[in-house]
Amino acid sequence: MFLQQLINGITLGSTYALIALGYTLIFGVLNIVNMAHGEIFMFGAFIGLILATKFNMSIFSALLGAMVAGAVLGYLMERLALRPLRRRKVSELAPLISTIGVSIFLESLALRLFGPQAQSFPSIYAAQLFEVGGLKISAVQIIILAISFGLMVALRFWLAKTRLGKSIRATAENIETANLLGVDTQKVIVLTVMLASALGGGAGVLVGLAFNAIEPTMGITMGFKGLAVLILGGLGNITGAMVGGLLLGIAEIFSVAYGVSSYRDAVAFGFIILLLFLRPQGIFGSKEQQGGR
Amino acid sequence: MVTRSIKKKGIVSLFLMVLTVMVLGCSSEKSGNKGAASDGSTAKIGVVSYLTGAGAAYGESIRQGLELASDEVNAKGKVKLELIFEDSKGEKNEAINAVNKLIHKDNVLSLIGPTLSGEMFAVGPIVNQEGVPIMGTSLTVEGITEIGDYVFRNSLPDSAAIPQSVKKAKEKFNLKKVAIMYSDNNDLAVSGFKIFEKTLKEIGVEVIAVETFADKNTDFSAQLTKIATLNPDAIMVAGLYQEAALILKKAREIGITVPVVGNNGFNSPQLIKSAGNAADGAIVASPWFPGKDDAKVKSFIAAYKAKYKKEPDQFAAQAYDALQIMAIAIEKTGSVTDRQKLRDTLATVKDYSGVTGKFAFDEKRNPSMDVTVLVVKDGQFTELK
Amino acid sequence: MEFLLNPYYMQLITFIIINAILGISIYLTLSTGQLSLGNAGFMSVGAYTSALLTLKAGVPLYAAVPLGGAAACLLAAIIGIPTTRLRGIYLAIATLGFGEVVRVIILNLKITNGALGLSSIPSMGVMLSKGIAAFGLAGGIGGISVRQLGSIAVILILALILGFLIFFALRLSSSRLGRAFAAIKADEHAAEVSGIDTRYYKLLAFFMGAFVAGIAGGLAAHITFYIGPKDFAYHRAVEILLFAVLGGSDVVWGPILGAVLLTVLPEVLRFATEYREMIYGAILVLMMAFRPQGLISESTLALWRTKLTRQPKIAGQDKVTRRTTP
Repeated sequence: MFLQQLINGITLGSTYALIALGYTLIFGVLNIVNMAHGEIFMFGAFIGLILATKFNMSIFSALLGAMVAGAVLGYLMERLALRPLRRRKVSELAPLISTIGVSIFLESLALRLFGPQAQSFPSIYAAQLFEVGGLKISAVQIIILAISFGLMVALRFWLAKTRLGKSIRATAENIETANLLGVDTQKVIVLTVMLASALGGGAGVLVGLAFNAIEPTMGITMGFKGLAVLILGGLGNITGAMVGGLLLGIAEIFSVAYGVSSYRDAVAFGFIILLLFLRPQGIFGSKEQQGGR
Repeated sequence: MVTRSIKKKGIVSLFLMVLTVMVLGCSSEKSGNKGAASDGSTAKIGVVSYLTGAGAAYGESIRQGLELASDEVNAKGKVKLELIFEDSKGEKNEAINAVNKLIHKDNVLSLIGPTLSGEMFAVGPIVNQEGVPIMGTSLTVEGITEIGDYVFRNSLPDSAAIPQSVKKAKEKFNLKKVAIMYSDNNDLAVSGFKIFEKTLKEIGVEVIAVETFADKNTDFSAQLTKIATLNPDAIMVAGLYQEAALILKKAREIGITVPVVGNNGFNSPQLIKSAGNAADGAIVASPWFPGKDDAKVKSFIAAYKAKYKKEPDQFAAQAYDALQIMAIAIEKTGSVTDRQKLRDTLATVKDYSGVTGKFAFDEKRNPSMDVTVLVVKDGQFTELK
Repeated sequence: MEFLLNPYYMQLITFIIINAILGISIYLTLSTGQLSLGNAGFMSVGAYTSALLTLKAGVPLYAAVPLGGAAACLLAAIIGIPTTRLRGIYLAIATLGFGEVVRVIILNLKITNGALGLSSIPSMGVMLSKGIAAFGLAGGIGGISVRQLGSIAVILILALILGFLIFFALRLSSSRLGRAFAAIKADEHAAEVSGIDTRYYKLLAFFMGAFVAGIAGGLAAHITFYIGPKDFAYHRAVEILLFAVLGGSDVVWGPILGAVLLTVLPEVLRFATEYREMIYGAILVLMMAFRPQGLISESTLALWRTKLTRQPKIAGQDKVTRRTTP
């Protein structure tokens, strides 16, 4: 049972990691916790679902469509809720509150547009199961795990080696200096938010496929987990998001398997509170990064 | 200049605020003076329901069931009903405001709702104090009608439904040891769990595991993996259909094939729709059985489908019956304003036969009605014999 | 005045006052620049403590409510000593997490009755009506029933508590303590350098916010007969935050105005209930973009002071009451 539960934990954790990557990307560049990321994820899931069921698209084009939709939402959010704040000097809490506003707005919009009932992808896409020595793992989960690892590596490479990645890191370091050095920071910020949101939208489709339930409030639940991972892994740290996600997934599953299942939802935040006391910069955050103190 | 424009905005916003307060004051004064049932022949019935938010699917079914019943009653013409809907968003403060508005501004004769038991525990005492009859159509937890003499419900409490399904399942599948799963942040599910536990103890079936989950959870792999290793003869699940469907799917996926006995939340066509084949073997006890060979049920389903283009669920059926019962009582009293008389008449309703079967209120204003134990077979609810 | 005696409006007024008290609780922590999203959690601790004390231990209401506040304060000490070291979003998220943890604990405890919540909590209104009836006024006076008298008494008591808290907050802002708070809010580093013990003051503000939220929770429990864990979830925390964001958190009148508006508007906009959450979301975004200081700030107050009176500046209190009820 231990191995099966470990697999359950890793598969759950990989979805957390996938979501946390989007949070991390935005935080890394803008120093903003994007509370609306969960809702963009939810919209992505719905758009993918509609493309797959109403327009009979293949699951891959639906995934692409969801990513495009996520990017569009990200652009709108940046334009309407983040850029106006950057122009005036406001406290660091303003974007947090503003994105909470976006999240509430998107959630209730989704309730209006898609209705409150949970929907799922047609069963042809249903999780195919592989059995290896009595252990069961579903195909979608392997894909999710692969994609999140792939993304982690790709993002790290991209940020470290490419021109655009370098300008993103420059912007993250210091917007004014990057501006002076000729980086179009406006463009970099828009691109980052769009990229993170596209990842969120895509994650929505994958998680929707894996868990068979797409509904308007899934954004909050998943968003909270992503948020927890963001803090666990160290704000803005890509490897941290990956490891933090896996850890949280395994911890949650083990709390059910060997502990009391009713405390499962407290695991994430219990972890955070503990961690913030012991190591506020997160598991992977470096000391120089602006810690919590 | 900048500061001045900010100041101007401040002034404008303050004026707006003052204006809203004044408008509110005026409008409320006008409606506050309106007397009860001004046209004298229409019975105003207030409905508090969960119409927007996460649980809006339930509120929507209830609204549709009520509207259908109201159309039919009004078409018959013996009593004229006017429904006034208020949204509670599933929150108790909203529900309190809604019933107060309905009682004191709209002067309704009686109330139907609210959707959740937590809301009823908050509004029940208020409504009871005011002497307005109120009928819950979706409340299954213990202690609802104990709130007061004016509180009724036509939904069968868990304590009447769950033991029947558990006993039937035991007898049919010879259960020795079972596992229980329930949603621990849902009052309906917690109440269902307690009845499951009690009944199982009474009939001597061993509970080998109790696992919890929460509403809106999507991953049940840990709980089910744990349960699978224990090899229970059946799993009892208390929750809403969304989670129930996912549990069924996951259970079948990892190779648990034993019957799954559910609470009231299982009783929805949505369960079968979202769980697909995995729903086969799900058992639930309910007075509402869509496949029943009964003219009333058939015509209700046909009318509902014609109007709303979907299958009715138990919430729609129970709401439909609730209003029919209310209409019968109003017709008997012959008054559209006398709340006390309506309460007394409602309490004596019996021999009503509706879409959820034969109905009567017992002395504690709970329904006494026949229960059918249903099992899902080939994607259909069928009677478990 | 007739309509004010309508129980619907009286109930609404009690909700407004409770929300205004919650507004003050977030104002107190925000006055040191700390954004705590844990006030819903503290509120639940106050509500459950007070409800359980009256239900199980038979403690009288007037003692149970302050004890609820004290319990919230105690918890704030446990959680606050480490968390107030955190800054900005770390604090916001840690307190948000704290609220969730409290909710899960309440769901799991036996004494709190889990998801079923606590029902038939002794009601302040019922108790006061009984008291008034025992006083020989069972028939009411001048067409006002004894139940209405009870509600009026409830409103008076709540208003008294609110009045006291406002008075306290106003005194605070012109005191040494208040100036230390303001200095920390403006620039924590500068404040520390100039010799202010920032940790002590931040902790104090955190305590005060928790205590007031606990009191509000206790009061809320005793005006509604029932409390359940759902009442104190994430949405509640955001609602409390909205009071401060909409009204403004510079001066105590800000969150109070926010609380009044956000309690009254949903009732006025009952026809548009499906769009309410969307409107709330939009308010948060728009306020942050165009008026991050909220509807009322120091400058608006100063402006109104000079507009409405030609007198020299005195305490802001009566100016504001004049302004809101022209």
